[in-house]
Amino acid sequence: MAVVVMIDIAIGLLIAPVLGATLAGFVCSTMGVFVVRMNLASIGYCMSHAAFAGAAFGVMMSIDPLISAIVFSFGTALVLGPLAEKARLESNVIIGFLFSVMIALAFIFLNLIPGQAASATALRILWGSVFAVKTNDIMLLSVLSIILVLFIAIFYKELISIMFNRKLAESVGINAKLFYFAVLFFTGFAVSLSLRLVGGLLVFALIVNPTSSAYQFFYDFKKIMIFSPIIGVISCLIGLWLSLVTDFPIGASIVIISALIFAISIVISPKRKKGICR
Amino acid sequence: MNQEDYIIELQDVNTIYEGEKTPAIYNINLYVQHGEFISVIGPNGAGKTTLLETINGILPYTSGYGSIFGKEIKKYKIEIRKDIGYIIQNFDIDPLSPFLCKDIVMTGRAGKIGLFRFASKNDWKAVWHSLGLVGMIDFAQRPIGKLSGGEFQKILFARALVQEPQLLLLDEPFSNLDLSARQNIEKILTKIYHKRKITILMVSHELRSIPKECSRIIVLDKGKIIMDGDREEILSSEIVHSLFHNGGCCHD
Repeated sequence: MAVVVMIDIAIGLLIAPVLGATLAGFVCSTMGVFVVRMNLASIGYCMSHAAFAGAAFGVMMSIDPLISAIVFSFGTALVLGPLAEKARLESNVIIGFLFSVMIALAFIFLNLIPGQAASATALRILWGSVFAVKTNDIMLLSVLSIILVLFIAIFYKELISIMFNRKLAESVGINAKLFYFAVLFFTGFAVSLSLRLVGGLLVFALIVNPTSSAYQFFYDFKKIMIFSPIIGVISCLIGLWLSLVTDFPIGASIVIISALIFAISIVISPKRKKGICR
Repeated sequence: MNQEDYIIELQDVNTIYEGEKTPAIYNINLYVQHGEFISVIGPNGAGKTTLLETINGILPYTSGYGSIFGKEIKKYKIEIRKDIGYIIQNFDIDPLSPFLCKDIVMTGRAGKIGLFRFASKNDWKAVWHSLGLVGMIDFAQRPIGKLSGGEFQKILFARALVQEPQLLLLDEPFSNLDLSARQNIEKILTKIYHKRKITILMVSHELRSIPKECSRIIVLDKGKIIMDGDREEILSSEIVHSLFHNGGCCHD
């Protein structure tokens, strides 16, 4: 009887991490398809460090670090697009600028946090933790997943047009700027909500790796759009299992698995074999 | 002639790029009627691309008045672009681009279909029809990055045609093409012009790439229209000869 109860508790404890890993894998690698195509791969670590600065700020102000992390990530997403447009610089240059500002802010906030235990709370957001996922995170990740599916289904023709060439998209009457900002905004959302589980330092790998793996197999954007999230979810679930079995940090386990999938994809990629086009 | 009869109407238009003082094009007065086939020629940096981008509203003009299909460009730029087919200059495509040709052709129709609407059977029919017009049906399922320069240019033509545009803006459509690809594209252009009776404005920096159907030539130099007239009149002019090397490329 006691064994059954213990198994029930163990399964109960696992439901949140499994759901969290599945949803985080889905949202991050879905946004990855756009981020990679737009050459904004560095946006991941910019957002994650913004979130870290936000978490440090939250601990300093004694508010929920996740909320302040989300606010900082959002703020970065909102500032990035217009700033790149205004400064007439490549988005990657602005990302580098914002990245350094966020790191600087994070150091200042950490310095102002009294006591080491509190600093450790902020730092935990950088590493991620299997059991840090809360019901609220899962709810928000579910809502974001539904919004992303609807966003992509409804605006697929606009998105594919912009991903092919922004100027040509504008030339047929598409408001490319609006969709560009929407992609940045949703990426900020996806990163912030995945922080507790995957950790800020490694969340950008979850954006880039699954998409890069999917790119190895297909020339069809629709197929990449379908397979990137599948690879993302698989990476997260196997990473979660690895973390539980070996006691490795969850973020590191997920990244190792997704990197392995990427390496295998490169080796077996049909794009590198002659006479095959998918 | 009534104002509404002009497809393109530009009055004293100046376009200045952000952060610059000198206009890229200035004092532009241009009136184009339905069904005209016009070539815009001039040296590099004359403002030819700026003129096209001012016409389709991608680049806002700084002063003057501009209207397309009788609608003011600044006010209705999104709406008018749905009826303007545009082929941009020197389009480099990444060989690993994850797009199929048919999907790229469909992107030309995205504005026309409109927000919150999905592509219908008729839209796909238009895609196949456009691919047929340029002789690229067999390439529909091919990855776009795997095409040659000429094949890629044909797909861009199909993309512009699927819009069923009233006005076609072509920015050096023959650049980077070998002679046979150039002749092939020119044939397609002639066919489209006769079949659809659309207005065409084609930018070129080579006299030899001006198609026979082109009846009017505009010469741009240093941002200003220096000549505008019949094909024969312009081609025989001394000014044009001094700008161009024996009918070949234009020098600055």
